[in-house]
Amino acid sequence: MVQLAPHLFNGLTLGLLFALIALGFTLIVGVMEVLNLAHGSLFALGAYIALTMIDPGWAQNTALGSFWLGLPIAARYAVALAFAPLLVALAGMLLERCLRPTYDKAPLYGLLLTFGAALVIEELIRLGWGTGERHLPVPGAINGAFFFGGLIFSKYKIFAALFSLAAIGAVWFFLERTPYGAIIKAGAHDSEMVRALGYDLARLRMFVFGFGAALAGLAGIVMVPIWGLRPHVGIDVVIPAFLIIVLGGVGSFWGAVVASILVGLAVGVTGAYAPAWSLMSMYLLLIAVVCYRSRGLFGRKSALER
Amino acid sequence: MPTLSDISPRSAAWVTPPMLVLGFVMLSAPLWLGAVGLYQYLGIEIAIWMIYALGFNLLFGYTGLHSFGHGAYLGVGGYAFGLFQHHVGSSLWGGLAAAILAAGLAGVLVGAAVSHRRGIYFALLTIAFGQVFWFSSIKLHWLTGGEDGLLNIPRPPLDLVFLEVPLGDNLSLYYFVVAVLALAILALWRMVNSPFGRILQAIRQNEMRAAFVGYEVWRFKLMAFVLSAMFAGLAGGLFAMAQESAYPDVMSLHQSGLIVMMVLVGGGLVSFWGPVLGVVLYFVARDVLGALTETWLLWYGLMFMAMVMFRPEGLAGVLHRLRRRPEPGATPRPAASEGA
Amino acid sequence: MALFEARNIHKRFGARVVLEDISLSFEEGQVSGIMGPNGAGKTTCFHVLTGRHAPDRGEILLQGRSIVSLPPQRVARLGVARSFQIMNLFDDSTVLENIVLALPAFRARRRKLFSAAFADPGLLDAARGILDQVGLGGREWEPSVSLSYGDRRALEIGVALAAQPRVLFLDEPTSGLGTEATQNLAQLIKRLRQRYTIVIIEHDMRFLFQLADRISVIHWGQVIAEGTPEQLRANKWVQRSALGELA
Repeated sequence: MVQLAPHLFNGLTLGLLFALIALGFTLIVGVMEVLNLAHGSLFALGAYIALTMIDPGWAQNTALGSFWLGLPIAARYAVALAFAPLLVALAGMLLERCLRPTYDKAPLYGLLLTFGAALVIEELIRLGWGTGERHLPVPGAINGAFFFGGLIFSKYKIFAALFSLAAIGAVWFFLERTPYGAIIKAGAHDSEMVRALGYDLARLRMFVFGFGAALAGLAGIVMVPIWGLRPHVGIDVVIPAFLIIVLGGVGSFWGAVVASILVGLAVGVTGAYAPAWSLMSMYLLLIAVVCYRSRGLFGRKSALER
Repeated sequence: MPTLSDISPRSAAWVTPPMLVLGFVMLSAPLWLGAVGLYQYLGIEIAIWMIYALGFNLLFGYTGLHSFGHGAYLGVGGYAFGLFQHHVGSSLWGGLAAAILAAGLAGVLVGAAVSHRRGIYFALLTIAFGQVFWFSSIKLHWLTGGEDGLLNIPRPPLDLVFLEVPLGDNLSLYYFVVAVLALAILALWRMVNSPFGRILQAIRQNEMRAAFVGYEVWRFKLMAFVLSAMFAGLAGGLFAMAQESAYPDVMSLHQSGLIVMMVLVGGGLVSFWGPVLGVVLYFVARDVLGALTETWLLWYGLMFMAMVMFRPEGLAGVLHRLRRRPEPGATPRPAASEGA
Repeated sequence: MALFEARNIHKRFGARVVLEDISLSFEEGQVSGIMGPNGAGKTTCFHVLTGRHAPDRGEILLQGRSIVSLPPQRVARLGVARSFQIMNLFDDSTVLENIVLALPAFRARRRKLFSAAFADPGLLDAARGILDQVGLGGREWEPSVSLSYGDRRALEIGVALAAQPRVLFLDEPTSGLGTEATQNLAQLIKRLRQRYTIVIIEHDMRFLFQLADRISVIHWGQVIAEGTPEQLRANKWVQRSALGELA
């Protein structure tokens, strides 16, 4: 059991990171009933934009560029963490604009459109940032490792897990405790109601999509120092997000959080005994749960079943 | 928008004009492929992918079950073909039979689990199962060769009892694949116009109604899934033979998504021939655009997005629209009653 | 013995009891009506009788044989056909194909993968015969989406008839129809009553009173009154409620 503890901890951390990835995804599914297959690509886009913000190699000969590069990395990292997701939100809003013709059709079309968008974003990343593996620098304060109880912990993983926890809390607060959240949740169940209350459904959708995309971008910036940055990192990310949503039940906030942690634990514990198969465990977990409970752990009936 | 099922009473014909056109194009292709800057191996790939896409559309377009993990069965077919050659004996028919049966078996296992699911849940489960197959093919190194792939798969000769034709060169393999394609098309064409096929289409249109007129819906879904997997397995076996190897890559979500894109762009939702058009468009785009620019997938992706947004009926739907003259009934009626 | 009988049916969804001890019986060759206010449990009752929902308790008998808890396709194959309140057709298909798909002779060929679906002229003639019965003769090659609302209702009934049912259930057949279409439908049902056992759920009392041999009134998940239209006109409860004014 003593040997299991670090793996459980590892799994829990991983689960929190998965939850961060799944947050934006579940928001968009819940409100708009669109499965955004481009979520992973927006995740990658966020990380690449942050990379350029932190280390704009091409700008070092300009006055502004050299000033910027003269700032400590922690400052540049913080700025990137705050602003790169906003640029991703713009990309998300553009994508939402493209999705409009599909709203009155079967959910398949939204899925297909976002799959195409994933391909396009990935190719744009290759075009803009090259195809090789890149490295996102992080401030020294959260880099490296520390010892605790005879075990080694990565400082960055702890930072990322705490950051996820904070993000989950913030999103929950936004959805449950603010008037904007109430409107978004109304849209999730009844778009007629939103119209009747006098809100512009088109703008609500655009906002939600932008918000979801920004969360994807944010997750990207936080995650890639752990997972590495490649143009196709998106597809490695969207699949766990996908599985988590189905496992938790489409559109359920806490379902997604619980499912993320379950998946994290499954991957962490399998990693202890059969490292090569650790990623497989999440697929098997999903298949086991969905064969037994067709709508996942906390799912309700949804239009996506049509 | 035309649909797959608004079929004319003549649909029982064994051979239709598009089949003759396709036959003529495919049979004459070796004569002009070189002249237009393409090459023989591309012809093999296209013909194999046509089998795959047409079989896939039995499930995707006709039955309305949106599988996003169909590459798994193509992959299983490829490995089964290769393993048969390595461990059982060098035989074309044996290898292809093994490919079809192995993919069919995989289809039964997955189909039994997913045929009670609907909509997005169906799609997601097919993705999850597809990933399991893909992942297994990478990790089961002793069986599949892992990421390096299963290498040195021979091209066994075509054994017609009294005649043996070597398939080592690409031209003869091409003609063999085209012959298999012709059989696959005939089989699928009969199938979609058979009672079984019409019931599949009824289930796509209205599952509840199909149950209330007495059909065991999930059995038909399972059967469609298995048949479609078997066609994918056949294509996979042929592909392993063409490549002389089998890799996990065809089983990835990316590749499974590409077949969906091909079928949709071609117009598989509205026409039997949609998948054929989609496959040709994809491979020609890959080779022609790919020769001009490294970012051809970007353009292909943008075209796909535009298609989904504005012309979800695909290339076949566009051709249908161009070919059909406006009917008298379709012209807008004079707005005589509007003042009333 | 009644052709179709339901005994002591209970059905609840979560905490809500929708049907509480319902017993109904439908005689062979009669038109039976089920009426009651909105939300009384009429449609749920239909769903339970035709296999869409399993009841929590109770027995359903077709010719003395229990069909309770069978899935809809099994119930259908035993000779219970139904129409739906919301239109439920194969929209991409032609009018003729909608009928053909429901014919038992077509269903018998369901395992045929390589023979032509509509090559058998006997099948097509049988389907045309049904279209003539429901007044859609000559329109077999039209796509079913392009039919008018009233014609789609008639096609719904045609699909149900195609199954050669022993009992035909019609769920609010007049809903959404205008006066003329409703009258046409009444004529159609009058023609069909000679050949089929029919059960109609309806809130249009005038329509039901002119057609039904016996009527059951459902309210609060229970049968509160039962009898011929004349007996119901005399029933105090029915008179007191809005139903009496119409009758």
